[in-house]
Amino acid sequence: MSTQKLAMVIDSAKCIDCKGCMASCKQANNVSRGVWRNWIKEAVPPVVDGLDGAKKLGHGHFQPGACMHCDEPTCIQACPTGATYKNAADGTVVIDPKLCIGCGNCIKACPYGARFRDPVKRIADKCNYCPERRAAGLAPACVDTCPTKARVFGDINDPSSEAAKLLAANQGKVVRVVAKNKDTKPNMYYIASTAPDGWTVQPVDPTSFDFLAGVVAPAVKLAVGLSGLGVLAMLGRQLFAGAGTHGPDNSHGPDNSRGPDNSHETDSKPNTEKKEEDGHA
Amino acid sequence: MNDNSTRQISRRDFLRLAGTAATAVAATAVTAATAPEAKAAPAVQAPKWESKYSVCDMCFNRCGLIARVERGVITKLDPNPKFTKSRGMLCARGNAGVAQVYDPDRLKTPLLRVGARGEGKWKAISWDEALELAATKMKDIGEKYTRCGMLFSAGADMQSGFVNRFAEAFGSFNVTSHESLCLLSGNRAFLDTFGDVPLPDVKNSKYVILAGANRLEALVTPDSMDLISIMKEGAKVVVLDPRYTKSAALASEWHPIRPGTDMAFMLALANVIITEKLYDAKYMAERTSGLDKLADHVADMTPEWAEKETGIPAADIRRMARDLAAAAPSSMVYPGRRTSDYENSTQIRRSFAIVNALLGNYDRPGGLVPARPAGLKKVPGEPPWYDDNPPGRVDAKSVPLLFDEEGSFVLTREAVIKGAPYPIKGWFVYKTNPMATAPERAKTREMIDKLDFMIVVDITMSDTAWMADLVLPAPSAMERTDPVQALQSGAEGACLVWRDAVIPPLYQSRPVFDILKILAGKLGLGEFFDFDIESYRLKQLAAFPEAAEIIKRDGVFYPPNPPLGGTDGAAFKTPSQKIELFCSRYAEMGLDPLPVYTPPKPSPDTARKFRLVVGRSACITQASSTNNALLSEFEPENMLWLNDEAAKELGVKQGDVVQVESPVGKGELKALVTPKIRRDTVYMLSGFGSISGGLSHTKGVGASIVELMETRYDSICGNSAIHETFLSVKKKGAA
Repeated sequence: MSTQKLAMVIDSAKCIDCKGCMASCKQANNVSRGVWRNWIKEAVPPVVDGLDGAKKLGHGHFQPGACMHCDEPTCIQACPTGATYKNAADGTVVIDPKLCIGCGNCIKACPYGARFRDPVKRIADKCNYCPERRAAGLAPACVDTCPTKARVFGDINDPSSEAAKLLAANQGKVVRVVAKNKDTKPNMYYIASTAPDGWTVQPVDPTSFDFLAGVVAPAVKLAVGLSGLGVLAMLGRQLFAGAGTHGPDNSHGPDNSRGPDNSHETDSKPNTEKKEEDGHA
Repeated sequence: MNDNSTRQISRRDFLRLAGTAATAVAATAVTAATAPEAKAAPAVQAPKWESKYSVCDMCFNRCGLIARVERGVITKLDPNPKFTKSRGMLCARGNAGVAQVYDPDRLKTPLLRVGARGEGKWKAISWDEALELAATKMKDIGEKYTRCGMLFSAGADMQSGFVNRFAEAFGSFNVTSHESLCLLSGNRAFLDTFGDVPLPDVKNSKYVILAGANRLEALVTPDSMDLISIMKEGAKVVVLDPRYTKSAALASEWHPIRPGTDMAFMLALANVIITEKLYDAKYMAERTSGLDKLADHVADMTPEWAEKETGIPAADIRRMARDLAAAAPSSMVYPGRRTSDYENSTQIRRSFAIVNALLGNYDRPGGLVPARPAGLKKVPGEPPWYDDNPPGRVDAKSVPLLFDEEGSFVLTREAVIKGAPYPIKGWFVYKTNPMATAPERAKTREMIDKLDFMIVVDITMSDTAWMADLVLPAPSAMERTDPVQALQSGAEGACLVWRDAVIPPLYQSRPVFDILKILAGKLGLGEFFDFDIESYRLKQLAAFPEAAEIIKRDGVFYPPNPPLGGTDGAAFKTPSQKIELFCSRYAEMGLDPLPVYTPPKPSPDTARKFRLVVGRSACITQASSTNNALLSEFEPENMLWLNDEAAKELGVKQGDVVQVESPVGKGELKALVTPKIRRDTVYMLSGFGSISGGLSHTKGVGASIVELMETRYDSICGNSAIHETFLSVKKKGAA
């Protein structure tokens, strides 16, 4: 069924952390103040030897990111209403705003922190690869605007796409950032290497779904989910959630680059790993 | 250029096909909704927008853009892929251009001051009243104090040329721009060495030394993007900076140089290149003058000597000199843009120019290239002669080599305060903001207090507008029709752009051109503005009859670009007709003909331990964009970068509010405790600590750099020197 696999192929070594992608996304998608559909993370630079035994900082690295539109996403199972689903046509993970009740389960279920509750719209939101722009024949806003063209977007099932070509040209040198306990098969590919890693969080499945996960057919799961009292509770949670209650989930603020001291990338117990990819294109 | 547009088209075609495919699939698969894990999404419609070319106004780069307009409202600004100078990008600031247009803080009507100056009490008045008042005051000042009693200052804007034209017609020599607070020292140095101010051809370079130029944050197109591209291809980029900037982080090599010692580094490079004879002897003999004198001058300036001054290991300096020479002529010491650092900045930049001369990189790919021909015609006007005018600018002769057309803002300010050599009592300001960019804000305020009448034309109530008598609302760039501007892009040649209005002017705003045209009429100077912008543009483009249609079609026009090397054999525009390693003009004027290194002066006060350095980020362009709703999310305030070990000694922790003090001012801001800066240096982002009540994001937020900076200037050209101030730092509330 799936004819396309839309993906982002990123050469993070080219990223200068200018925030062009974040500004462009926010403007294109009318994302509320304080929350972001995409981000740039900064690796903690190594300390190297300087003059007379002094230490100085070594090479730095920035890592652009956003929803990875995983092949095995943890967010879909967590959604009690079916608002989040995988688009069979192009492989993107889609949120139907009409079905989303803003319960926040998907936000906790995403190990990459890619989702947040929009404080104004009060529903879950994340990167959607700009479908309106694609319909107009344009690249997603972040890709179009990128000064160094670190972000490349396309259908990696189409060997003639720029993204597929880039993957093919870098066979054996492509990595993904994945959650350690659950390889969600992200469709965000980093060329050669990337940093930081270890920044993902443990995906949290809503308890009520744990026993169902992977056992019951999706349609049944949806019905059970909707019949439970859980839905009422979730609706209540949405109604009482005030503006700005995106909470700790969307931690990719622009402040990530303010310095190594307040960055979140120093986790000594990484729960993610970089997966070496080979010959996937 | 052909390659680029072809690639762009094919990529777009692919995306268009992809969109069609998605639509087709969706139409046949709507019933899959019962299977939530994989169903077809409903078809998404393309936005019903009109696409219109314009040119970004969020900084001086002027990147070509496409405005998406839906029902008369700009919803998005995208890069113009045909505008190759920006490499098809639009940065965060460019994207935030929409927030600038719809900024609730915009000026909406002419405002007349009714309270005390700076008190913020205003009365909305009509345009008729405002322009009549302005004309009357200018006429009165001209009659009472001569025409030179009016000062005109315009920022980097596509209509600023009209302000200069007006000043000339009105009869005042006193014109300043932002440049004497920014880049004049570098221009002076290269002009006095090469006879022109060449541009870096980064794209073809194999080895680039960036000394104090934070080019991956302070974006300059195409240099910033090209630095990344060339490093991917194996070129070396070395960054010297007391701060671990993003440029430092991504460079091939970073050295935390001791501030103020760049000249020692450059002279040591010269020492190695000369003593090891790494230069092209024939080229040096034919094209340069003063090699022997330079050789004597730098004989003792070994890398070991420079190591003691700069803190950069001698072995590294020697290696860099050899590698630079090996890559020559496709190598360079990057000239830099803002060079308003030290009182001897012209001489510092002369040492940059001299190393480039030793590399023989002038007019060579990957080196420094002369400005490419743009072919724009001047639209003439013969200004009247006013017999009673003084002989020259108010800041004339204050320094030996002032740029007459730019002047020196800090020296002009000094003259206004003193009322000597003659009084200046009126000030017309267009889109420039000395209250936020000129060192020692208290002195700018003192200058303004000497004035009888001050007019500011701007988009928002800047700190400078806040001090004015009359504030006139200007439209944003997206609401304007603008003349043609030529932009330079390394060896790739010049390009020509203009603006057509994307939307009509908002509120009661009026372009400065209209304001000046009306004022000229009222002052009997109408003949100097007897055109509209459309006809003016055609006159500018007289050499290229096809250009107007092409700009309408593509948003940009590329005039013919002759190949590099065209200056080979031609005389340089210097007294010796050669590249002047030894500057004969300086010798005649009693200035050092070769750059003489003096170690940076230590702080005169042991309580003020930290040298203040300032800069900008990729998200802001000084005070003109910090108040932007979108950009303020990235840079909500400025913080004091303080070395982590120094902070420990001061008992300052991350995020603590610190009090900083210089001999001229004070400030309070949060500390950013970091290993990313030297122990002897602190850093602040420009554009914060505003005083204007019309700036809702920045008023009183963070600290102002110009509140703290002392008034210092380049002793040769009068450019401000803004790294000469030392601060004391203490935790708020500490003894």
